[in-house]
Amino acid sequence: MTSIRLTVFLLLILAVLAVVGTVAAPNIYYQVWFLAPLGLLALNLLACLVEGLPQAVRKTTRPFTGEMALTLPERGRFTWPEEAKASSLAQEAMRRELGRPRRKIMDDKEVFFYSRGRLRPLGPYLVHLGLVLVLAGGVVGKFWGVEGRMLLQPGLPVSSFELDDRKTRPLAFQVQLDRFQVFFYEEGGGTPKEFRSDLTIFEEGEEKGKFICRVNEPVVFGGFTFYQSSYGVMPLGAVPVQVSRGDKRHTLELLMRRWTPLPESEFQFMLVRVEANLQGYGPAVQLAFRSGAAHPQIIWLLRKQPEWADPRVGFRVALGPLNLEYYSVLQVKQDPGVWWVYAGFILLLAGMYIAFFRPSQRWAVVLQRGKGGRWDGRLLGASPRGRETFAIHTERLLARLQGGAS
Amino acid sequence: MLDTVYGALMLLYLGVGLLFLAAGLWVSPALNRWARVLFGAGLAAHSAALLGRWWESYHLALGHTPPAHFSEKLRLVILQAPMSNFYESLVFFAWCLPFLAILTFRRYLRDYLGTVVAIAACLLLAYASLGGVDSRIKPLMPALKSNWLLFHVLTCFLGYASFTLGFGVAILYLVNERRPRPTLPSLPELDRLIYQATVIGFLMLTLGILTGAVWAESAWGRYWSWDPKETWSLITWLVYATLLHARLVKGWQGRRIAWLAVVGFAAMLFTYFGVSFLLPGLHSYLT
Repeated sequence: MTSIRLTVFLLLILAVLAVVGTVAAPNIYYQVWFLAPLGLLALNLLACLVEGLPQAVRKTTRPFTGEMALTLPERGRFTWPEEAKASSLAQEAMRRELGRPRRKIMDDKEVFFYSRGRLRPLGPYLVHLGLVLVLAGGVVGKFWGVEGRMLLQPGLPVSSFELDDRKTRPLAFQVQLDRFQVFFYEEGGGTPKEFRSDLTIFEEGEEKGKFICRVNEPVVFGGFTFYQSSYGVMPLGAVPVQVSRGDKRHTLELLMRRWTPLPESEFQFMLVRVEANLQGYGPAVQLAFRSGAAHPQIIWLLRKQPEWADPRVGFRVALGPLNLEYYSVLQVKQDPGVWWVYAGFILLLAGMYIAFFRPSQRWAVVLQRGKGGRWDGRLLGASPRGRETFAIHTERLLARLQGGAS
Repeated sequence: MLDTVYGALMLLYLGVGLLFLAAGLWVSPALNRWARVLFGAGLAAHSAALLGRWWESYHLALGHTPPAHFSEKLRLVILQAPMSNFYESLVFFAWCLPFLAILTFRRYLRDYLGTVVAIAACLLLAYASLGGVDSRIKPLMPALKSNWLLFHVLTCFLGYASFTLGFGVAILYLVNERRPRPTLPSLPELDRLIYQATVIGFLMLTLGILTGAVWAESAWGRYWSWDPKETWSLITWLVYATLLHARLVKGWQGRRIAWLAVVGFAAMLFTYFGVSFLLPGLHSYLT
């Protein structure tokens, strides 16, 4: 379960499945084909954590002692004359290049030692723990979170929303849309600038506050988050349409998706769609009409160009006064898993920083009286990873030590 | 005006690339010096052009939404960073290459390695200038109005650029292994450069994905929606995660790591270009 081979195999399997998902099967991510290897990867990560974390913690908490320092590999030698103040010279050189060293006297040796990057062994485990938290957050959200949509018409309080499976979920408060506005850039070719829902929330008949919900600025209330998702227009009441045949004229009050007969004829009319701004031409309605059970024909009527006529059909259609009203659709969500995911993100980043940019590095300077009373010095050090900065520091430190007594 | 500057910059990078190439072929420190000076000058001019577009974009936005306080002004400055459409992303990508190369492996930025970096930057600018990409500054749509925009795009493209550098070095590694060249860094050095570029790119891509997730959560209420761009960035991330595990745990080095860097780069290219043109989704305003 902990082998690196399995990990790499799972990573590649997931990559391949994700490719398949983007090209051919967009729902694969919610199916067992994808979730099973993802679950295995989570188990693999957990197993790695259980196996390696205690040892990494031990490594991190084990103090770096003078005895351990003496076992580091040798990186260079230097000699100083008998009268040199060896102790303070060595200490000063290390302090300048690295930081304040610790000191220990052992028999005839004096050892100055210094370490950095002690947390390095924890780095990869923090990354993996972070990933496990992210996946766990996804599971928490899936099972304990809810997500749905809420359609709001101005002035009508709503106290429930529709889940993705079309079930209704009640809320303990009422959300009322006071006004929905959409703004466009003046010379943006119809680019929207802002969608804005002004909301009032009531609880047991009492006003709890006014909120503005925009894209990128969700509203949080009562444990739920409301996102501006989409909007549309609907007519206030029926839409009046005048139909003229010769010198006869009738006014029909059309409703959405309901056939209305044209008196003294076979024809029927129906309202199909309403647009606040049809491709930059302003408010428009789409009508369907048919003769008897024939295939219906579709036409658009604009507020700016309200008339339509076709000699083959034999009548003219004119749009009456059109009163439109915006409605707003909010995405409603409650996801207790988000905080797990964010906590995972923080661990992931902290772990990566430690793993890649805080390599474990250790140095020691050992001083000993040699032949004729002169000082024989040795520089020791090791860094299993991050060799480049280690080499630079070691080289400079050695240069300082070798030039130290002159 | 700025379009002309980018056209000139493209030619400058081409010239720098050729100079580095000549320096590599004829082992000439003097040519290298010249190429580096010109490259630095190009980066400076490129930075100035980016700032110029930022300034222009900010002033256009001032007309749409006059800010009332200092904090609103600051927000507008952040929002109008020139990173909000395909053209701007190409130009910024091109800027990241010399920037990162000078920042992370200045010592090796000579000869063929210099050529690779300069030519990559030149190609990106050529695409931006000659590829029929719409270069107009457009007002921001509501979904893009977020402080996360700057950090998300910044980190993503620094990541892309770092992977591109890693790819360039990997190609040089594979060539050098077959036919050793005296002016190239040694194989172990190239190997280390691939690793270094991968680490920086991986950290940046991770930051890019995470900032994108936090942004998506605040814009749509979903930190992850398996949008093609998201999925492909995850695929790229998985490939580079494999590379890092192969190296750090299994001790892989050299040729195999170089090939993984090539595969990762291909995934990254598809994440950037392929997804935008072939797979529509949440990021489709990039095209």
